[in-house]
Amino acid sequence: MTFDPLTTQGIPLERQLRNWRELDVTPLDPDDTDPYTRCRVIVMNGIEVEAIMFSHHLARTCPDPEVKRQLAYTRYLEAQQQRVVNWLLPPIASTLETTIAYEQVAVDLTAWVARMEPDPYLKQAYEFGVLEDFDHLYRYANLFEMVERRKAEKVVDQLTEVMPGRPTKMHHRHPYDNVRDPYDRTTVDPLSKMHALTVMSAEQQTMNFYMNVGPQYMEPIARQLYQEIGLIEEEHVTHYESLVDPGETWWERLVNHEYNEVYLYHSFMTQESDPRVRAIWELHLNMELAQLHQAVELFRRHDGREPEEILPRELPVPVTFEPNKEYLRHLLATQIDLTTLGAGYVREAHERFEKMQEALHGGEQPPSEEVIDLHRERFGDEYRIETEGPHPVERLRETAEARR
Amino acid sequence: MTTTRQHPEETDRGDVVDLLLAQHGRIEELFRAVRGSSGRAKQEAFEELTHLLSIHETAEEEIVHPAARTSIDAGDEVVQARLAEEHDAKELLAGLMKLDVQTPEFDAELDRLRIAVYEHAKREERYEFMQLRAAHPPERLVRMAGALRAAEKIAPTRPHPGVESATKNLLLGPPTALVDRVRDAVRDAMRD
Repeated sequence: MTFDPLTTQGIPLERQLRNWRELDVTPLDPDDTDPYTRCRVIVMNGIEVEAIMFSHHLARTCPDPEVKRQLAYTRYLEAQQQRVVNWLLPPIASTLETTIAYEQVAVDLTAWVARMEPDPYLKQAYEFGVLEDFDHLYRYANLFEMVERRKAEKVVDQLTEVMPGRPTKMHHRHPYDNVRDPYDRTTVDPLSKMHALTVMSAEQQTMNFYMNVGPQYMEPIARQLYQEIGLIEEEHVTHYESLVDPGETWWERLVNHEYNEVYLYHSFMTQESDPRVRAIWELHLNMELAQLHQAVELFRRHDGREPEEILPRELPVPVTFEPNKEYLRHLLATQIDLTTLGAGYVREAHERFEKMQEALHGGEQPPSEEVIDLHRERFGDEYRIETEGPHPVERLRETAEARR
Repeated sequence: MTTTRQHPEETDRGDVVDLLLAQHGRIEELFRAVRGSSGRAKQEAFEELTHLLSIHETAEEEIVHPAARTSIDAGDEVVQARLAEEHDAKELLAGLMKLDVQTPEFDAELDRLRIAVYEHAKREERYEFMQLRAAHPPERLVRMAGALRAAEKIAPTRPHPGVESATKNLLLGPPTALVDRVRDAVRDAMRD
């Protein structure tokens, strides 16, 4: 039995509108929630936010008032989906706790995508990026213990290790060097298109989140760290969005967006451990099917093509949240020194990189270094979760005296 | 090999907000410990939780809330709301202490208390502690940490709903000399 999103009927669009009672979801209880359930919530929030903003941008270039109305209606439904999904986040979790969950998403989602990506150039882009999110998790975990006196382990459990990745201060590249080469829409495996859209959307939501919540902190180190990592998320969005072929038409991109939502809700429905959340994934999957069919109709009408020309022949292997510890340790051991030059990757600190670093740091320690120094000063050591032994890179191991 | 480290003493260098946050973190850990254990271990974790919750709330009522009442915006209203939550939590805790930890009723009541305490703690952190930190100089906040510790040393180790004010808490038990010691500590902490 294969599930074909193009022929499976969903909930008709006119029956998808929800009332306040249906929107008022009971949030997750952080003590009872699988960390990966929270990760799936964060991913789907990012996906819905991208769906909403993409539709707004499409509407702004669309001259046909009837199509504009259709887009407005479906976008309202997507906005309701976003409200339901994101309102699952626990109110008793702090912003920083949610931030740590965002970084767990960035690590384990990007690692999964990298492992599954068939195209070697695209795979390299994910492998490069994941080592940076991995380091952000470590910096925020140290901040968390310092300003909220709680341990990141309560958020990530022991599913994701917390230790240095590529040092955050090295992520500040010249913006020119964040632009990658795009895949070719005519030859690429459609799965690669879904991967690029998924990771781009997740990173974009992370950027939006940090650039908006950062100033709410009173502690100077927290404000500064959100500013620094928020700027790296800007680089990451540039990095991932440039993988997408700019030759895709607006209608083609709309179909890709809707198909990807179907793919992800289906993926998460099949692995969700929380029955209440699974019911939401299932409901949203059934809503997305009708939204996809509407997009396909617009694509046929405006582009005169069939969806089979651009979509996967069957739904790809489900995107799965699972530990990626061994894979990440392998990447740490082999790719930690990489940076980018133009659309490629190099090991040496080239002139443009050095100039950017000098302009930004001005000979001072950035907040990402200061947060670790401050933690060492106040607690005598760093916050880490190393479940699989010492750090694979010897110089990034904590010294014996720091460990007490 | 797993290395996650504990920092039992680190708060000694922090201010009163650091100390309160660390205790909130510890209370959350103890709730998880009670839920995740059974038999004797469960009883012991629950006793530790009862002890910490009781002395923590009392010390807040003696040191933190009076300071917040007079120094933060809408202090009266903010503190009044926190005291009402503390009263409810103490009643839940007192009821819970009469139950056998092995029973399903205990687990259900524990869950009510857990959510009530988590929400209360988060409201304190968001609406009270951060404002308190902004309203007082760092040295005074460090002195208040000392006062909080002193108050916890003589605070009742079981919940007493209905005594959510500083004076009533102090009338509840400790010998006069100890009461005076806490009053001295509080006065020292609040001095400029």
